[in-house]
Amino acid sequence: MISVSGLVVHLAGQAVVNDLSFSLAPGEFVALAGPNGAGKSTALKAVAGIAPIGSGSVRIGDRDAAGMNRSTRARALAWLPQFRPVAWNLCAEDIVALGRFIESPAPYIRLGAADRAAVDSALVKSDAAHLAGRAIHTLSGGEQARVHVARLLASPAQNLLLDEPCASLDISHQLSLMQTLSNEAASGRAVMVVLHDLELAARYCSRVIVLDGGRKVADGPPESSLSDDVLRRVFAVQRGPSGGLVRAG
Amino acid sequence: MSRLTLILGLMSAALFALSALAGSAPMPIADTLAALVWQGDDAGRVIVWEIRLPRAAAAFAVGAALGLAGAGLQGLLQNPLAEPGVLGVSAFSALFAVIAIFFGLTAFSALVLPLAAILGAAAATAILAVAALRGAGSVTLLLIGIGLSSLAGALMSLAMNLAPNPYSLSDLVNWMMGSVANRSWADILLAAPALLVGAALVLVAGPGLRALSLGEETAASLGADPRRTRLLVIGGTSLLAGASVATAGTIGFVGIVAPHIVRPFVKHDPQSLLVPSALLAGMILLVADIGVRMLPLQQELKLGVAAALVGGPVFIWIAARLGRASP
Repeated sequence: MISVSGLVVHLAGQAVVNDLSFSLAPGEFVALAGPNGAGKSTALKAVAGIAPIGSGSVRIGDRDAAGMNRSTRARALAWLPQFRPVAWNLCAEDIVALGRFIESPAPYIRLGAADRAAVDSALVKSDAAHLAGRAIHTLSGGEQARVHVARLLASPAQNLLLDEPCASLDISHQLSLMQTLSNEAASGRAVMVVLHDLELAARYCSRVIVLDGGRKVADGPPESSLSDDVLRRVFAVQRGPSGGLVRAG
Repeated sequence: MSRLTLILGLMSAALFALSALAGSAPMPIADTLAALVWQGDDAGRVIVWEIRLPRAAAAFAVGAALGLAGAGLQGLLQNPLAEPGVLGVSAFSALFAVIAIFFGLTAFSALVLPLAAILGAAAATAILAVAALRGAGSVTLLLIGIGLSSLAGALMSLAMNLAPNPYSLSDLVNWMMGSVANRSWADILLAAPALLVGAALVLVAGPGLRALSLGEETAASLGADPRRTRLLVIGGTSLLAGASVATAGTIGFVGIVAPHIVRPFVKHDPQSLLVPSALLAGMILLVADIGVRMLPLQQELKLGVAAALVGGPVFIWIAARLGRASP
């Protein structure tokens, strides 16, 4: 359970997230949408404790996130950044094993049975089991993304925040990833994803939060938060004759 | 303990015994072996126990310290070319030691030289760490290292000009070129505490180094503490580099070559890299020192010079390959 109220985040003196309030309950699968520069990634970082909070509060479970230490936070919440450079040519399974860091800060081969099982099952869920022994820099962009998603799924955290997990995935893997995340929510986790594909969001997510210029402009089930008015005003698109989205104008 | 560590450890032990056989004084193998188990005549025992073994121990300890410092700094700065010698850490360490020698501070206590060397290493590492903290990339850090090295060289010349102490210049040059000749057990004992504490600090930072592979923000989100990791590695490598400079002068490149060789065997994991790199670097310097002892030259080749003769080209080769991998 995450509850955010009155969140303000400044970057270089500018409020890129302004007076944002929302909640994310266990079992929910929520999309965070909005045009480029709307403040989606920054909002996610602030909730994850990575970007400093200007004002407002973030509560994780029944505790104020500001007073939480690193390990408590890492046990409660896992974050997938939008950009995922890996400094060394690590093995995929060792990257996924880092998802268990707070339980056991060891490479895959030295993990205990329970941690190893969590890594194995996460690799299967993100369709990356066959990549387990490969070096990360030898994988394609989409394959790397699936390994990083597996790192998140392997985490002990019940709250998952993913920044554009579908970017660079082929269409089939986008669909299967959304299904996997939906299953995670169904099993009791709270999942929030930053998404640009509004149709994907509408199809899989129980709720869509729309940001524009750092402020929340809609929050609700996809059919209400992605109304014709919001689509035109925020995203500058409208539903075309065939049902797909086309540029408004 | 991994199998790789075990193999390298056994090889180190074998090499160490072998090093007792190597030396400028002609001595039959049987006599050497007898002296090793404390048999035979006094002269043989002195040669083996007071000359050859302490020298071998110094070479191995200095090599292992530089290998561990290199692997630790590489993990922290995420650059396979990082090493105390390349980054100017050893040069600053030598500078502080030279200042201590030339201004007569070493007369107060035997601890002054190692302390000065460690302080110098810490000063240079802190400068690099601040730059890394402010987002300096690999190239910037290496350039800062080059700047620190030349600055230390210039300041060393200045210190020699201004020094009131008529310390023999040739002694100093000998020491700065790097050598473990004539080191005694006392020299090693003096450096041991700094070496052991430094090694412990770097090893404790190991898991944090692996987390840092995903970047500082992700590492923090995993529950790691990047700031603590940075302090541990900076403190640890300062102690390791400082103590090795105090023991053997400046010896470069070992700290780059060893981790580079080990990395593919540990799946590029910055934590699993640490101990095998230390063992391999210790062996490399021990072999180099045996070679230096055996070379039939008028005057013994300095260990630091030998290390640079081999390590310099390897450094250039690694750098050239890196350039191709990431233009």
